[in-house]
Amino acid sequence: MPEFLETTVDKFTFKVATDRFYTREGVWATPLPEGEGAGVRVRVGLSDFLQQRSGDIAFAEVKPEGTALAAGDEVAAIETIKVNIALGSPVNGKVIEVNPDMELKPEVINQDPYEAGWLATIEATDWETDRAQLLDPQAYFVVMKAEAEEEAKKL
Amino acid sequence: MNESRQRVVIVPCSGIGKTYGSVSREAAYEVTEDLRPDTAALVPLSLLVLGDEQARAAVAGSQAITIDGCKLACATKMVKESGGEVAKDYAVLDVYRRYKQFKPQGIAELNAGGQQLAQALAQEIAQDVDGLVGQDAAPYMAPLPHEGGQHG
Repeated sequence: MPEFLETTVDKFTFKVATDRFYTREGVWATPLPEGEGAGVRVRVGLSDFLQQRSGDIAFAEVKPEGTALAAGDEVAAIETIKVNIALGSPVNGKVIEVNPDMELKPEVINQDPYEAGWLATIEATDWETDRAQLLDPQAYFVVMKAEAEEEAKKL
Repeated sequence: MNESRQRVVIVPCSGIGKTYGSVSREAAYEVTEDLRPDTAALVPLSLLVLGDEQARAAVAGSQAITIDGCKLACATKMVKESGGEVAKDYAVLDVYRRYKQFKPQGIAELNAGGQQLAQALAQEIAQDVDGLVGQDAAPYMAPLPHEGGQHG
């Protein structure tokens, strides 16, 4: 189980897992333990803040296995009760695994965004370079908190 | 009204300004006014929240079908809180997952997709109502609040 940075804004509590890296948009990436093959396997998903802000997820369509992605390319599209969002890949690589839960119970993203609610595993072509472009948990926490506070002002 | 006739109460979400709440209410109106007016009746969630005695009695004396607009599931909770039996609970989001072609939008006025989703949900509920009144549900059904009145 990951450890979390946590903040409460208005009545909402947001967690940032400290064992992974983030895009500014709130897509996380974490390398899996070394397996066979040349590339690093990187699992990706939504941050707690992103899933809470987006609302209950109706559908999640993840790019199929074998899809080649450049960082920023759409790795998944989610439809919630509020919005439709295209999620950019945090890494360059190829989709090698899609979470089977996305097909029938995408609500798992809302229930457990950092574990069971992962979207896909990507075989990253250059994880070290990609990682340097991502935010560490502390940096994302600052970005996320500022966004959350901005959102709260609109309520 | 024949008070001995079996009726099922339909309790939709009261979320005003929410698309899924509007779908839930449209479906409830469709069932109670058009599809099964003789065997289903709407009980407004707002009356249960306010503790309206007639509404509580109606729920407590009948089998209920609830339609929740979000995961807070207020309709289901309030029916249980009021002593009612939830025979079937629907979440609009789950219904939408089954009818992906009907994307609901709009609040005060649902778009075509929202109307179609409400109709699809209403058809499912109507079948449930038939099944429930076909069983030995409740021998006596309490008077329903605001019988023949306006939408709550």
